[in-house]
Amino acid sequence: MFSRIGYIIRETLANLTRNLTLTIASLLTVIVSLSFVGFVFLIQDAVGNQLGTWKDGVEVSVFMNPDASLDQIEGVRRALEPAQNSLIRSSRYVNAADALIEIKKLFPSTPEMTDLFSKDGQGVPTSFRIKPTSTESTVISSITSTFRTMPGVSIVRSADQAIAFIRKISSFARWGLGVGAVSLLAAAVLLIWNTIRTAMFARRREIEVMKLVGATNWFIRWPFIIEGMVQGLLGAAIACGLVWTGKNLWRSKVIGSFGSQLNFDTLQATASQFRSVIILLLVIGAVAGSVASAIASSRFLDV
Amino acid sequence: MIKLDNVTKVYNNEVLALRDASFEVAKGEFVFLVGTSGSGKSTLLRLINREEAADRGEVWVAGGNINNLSSRDVPKLRRKMGNVFQDYKLLLNKTVFENVAFALEVIGSPKHVIRQQVPAILELVGLAGKQERFPNQLSGGEQQRVSIARAFVNRPLILLADEPTGNLDPATGEGIMRLLDRINKTGTTVVMATHDRNIVNMMRRRVIELDRGIIIRDQARGVYE
Repeated sequence: MFSRIGYIIRETLANLTRNLTLTIASLLTVIVSLSFVGFVFLIQDAVGNQLGTWKDGVEVSVFMNPDASLDQIEGVRRALEPAQNSLIRSSRYVNAADALIEIKKLFPSTPEMTDLFSKDGQGVPTSFRIKPTSTESTVISSITSTFRTMPGVSIVRSADQAIAFIRKISSFARWGLGVGAVSLLAAAVLLIWNTIRTAMFARRREIEVMKLVGATNWFIRWPFIIEGMVQGLLGAAIACGLVWTGKNLWRSKVIGSFGSQLNFDTLQATASQFRSVIILLLVIGAVAGSVASAIASSRFLDV
Repeated sequence: MIKLDNVTKVYNNEVLALRDASFEVAKGEFVFLVGTSGSGKSTLLRLINREEAADRGEVWVAGGNINNLSSRDVPKLRRKMGNVFQDYKLLLNKTVFENVAFALEVIGSPKHVIRQQVPAILELVGLAGKQERFPNQLSGGEQQRVSIARAFVNRPLILLADEPTGNLDPATGEGIMRLLDRINKTGTTVVMATHDRNIVNMMRRRVIELDRGIIIRDQARGVYE
C-alpha cells in the first residue's frame, strides 16, 4: 500500500513537470476562469449586502421650495402623519441648518459647495425624510405621486431608481463575467483533458508494459487523475489569491476612499461570504480537473 | 493449462488471422509455434494473454474461460502469465533493477518483497552485478534477459514468448533458449512463437505449425521442417 502511494506521488510529479508548457497553459486557464467565477460571486454578495442596507433605510425625500411658506410646510407635515397616509411609517423634518451639515458631511473636500450657501443655511432647501411601510416600488411611486403635487414641494426623490440602477449594472457585470467564466472553465477542462492525453501518449510504452504485467486500469489511471486534480486545485488556489487581492484592493482603494461619503460602505462581501467563495473555487477546481482527467484517462487507456 | 476450441479471429471483418484453431497445452509443456510471418503465431499469443478476444470458439487459460472476461478481470489473468517480446519492450529510462521491479510494483507487491525477489531473479537470468545499468548500456541478449526476468519475477504459470531470439545472433539466441528451458523445468508452461529453424531443431519440443491462419501440424518432439 505504501509503495503504491509513493508510486502515485512520484508519477504525478514526473507527469506535471514532463509536459511543462501544456501544464502551464491549462493552469493559466484554470486561474483566469476561476478568478472570474470568484469575482462573479463576490459581486453578487457585495451588491446583495449593499441593497440590503439600503432597503432597510430606504427613504423618500420630499424637498420643499426654498421659499415655501410655513403654512405649506405645515400642510405637508400633516399629510405625512401615519394616521393620514397608511403607506408612511414615520417621517422627520430636516431644516436648513441640518441640511447644511449634511452637505458638509457629503462633500468634505469641496468647501466650495457649502460656500454657495450662507452660514446659517439660508437658501438651503429643507426636506422631509419619509420611511415608507414597505419598499415595494408601487408603494414608493404612490407616495412620490401624492406629494409631488402638494403646494410648496419642489421635488420628491427616492432611492428606488438608484437601487434599480445598481441592480442593472451588477446583473450586467455578473452576466458578462459569468459567460466568460463558463467558457474559460470549459477551455480549462479541455486543456486538462489534452494535457492528460498527451501525458498518456508520451507514456504509452510504459502503459503497455503495465497492462501486460497485470496492472489494473485504476492503478494506471490514478497518477493521471491526480495530475488533473492537482492542476485544477493549484489553479484554484492561485485564483483564490487573485480574488483575495482584488477584494482587498476594492476595500482599501474604493470603499475606503469613497464608501462612507457616497453611502456604499457595505458594497463588499463579508468575511464568511468570502470564505465560502474560496471553498467553492477550490472544489470547482479539484472536481473539474479530476473529472476531465478521469474521462481522458479512461478514453485513452486502450493503447 | 491452455486450451483452444475451434477459435477463429478476424481483424477488421476482413483479415482472417486464425481459423478453427484447436489444441491443448498441458501444465509444464514447452510448445513452439512456427510458421511464416502473418501465419497467425502472434495472434494466437495475443488471444491467450487476452490482448485480443476470439471472434468464434473458446479460449481456456488456467482452468478458466477467458472469452467473456470483464476488463476488471483481465489484469488477474495477466498476472498468471509472463510476456517476452522480440523487441524486449524495456523502459529505457529505468535501470535493469527498476525494469524488473516495475512488474512487481504495478501489481502492488510490498517493497521488501521487491528488494528480495528482483536480485534473485536477475541472478537466475545471469545479470547479477548489472542491476544499475540502463537498457541501452546492455547487449541485445542481456536486454532480452532483463525482459525474461521481468516476465518471470512474479512466478507466472505460463510464459508467452513472441520471437524472443528474433533480434539476436545464433549463439546469444541459444543462451536465451537455455534460460527459457530452465524456466520451463521449474514447471512453467512455455509457449514460444518463432521462425528460428535451428533453435526448434535443437530443442526437439512440441511444434504447432501455422499456415495462413490454419494449424497444419501439431507434432510432439518435432522439428522446424
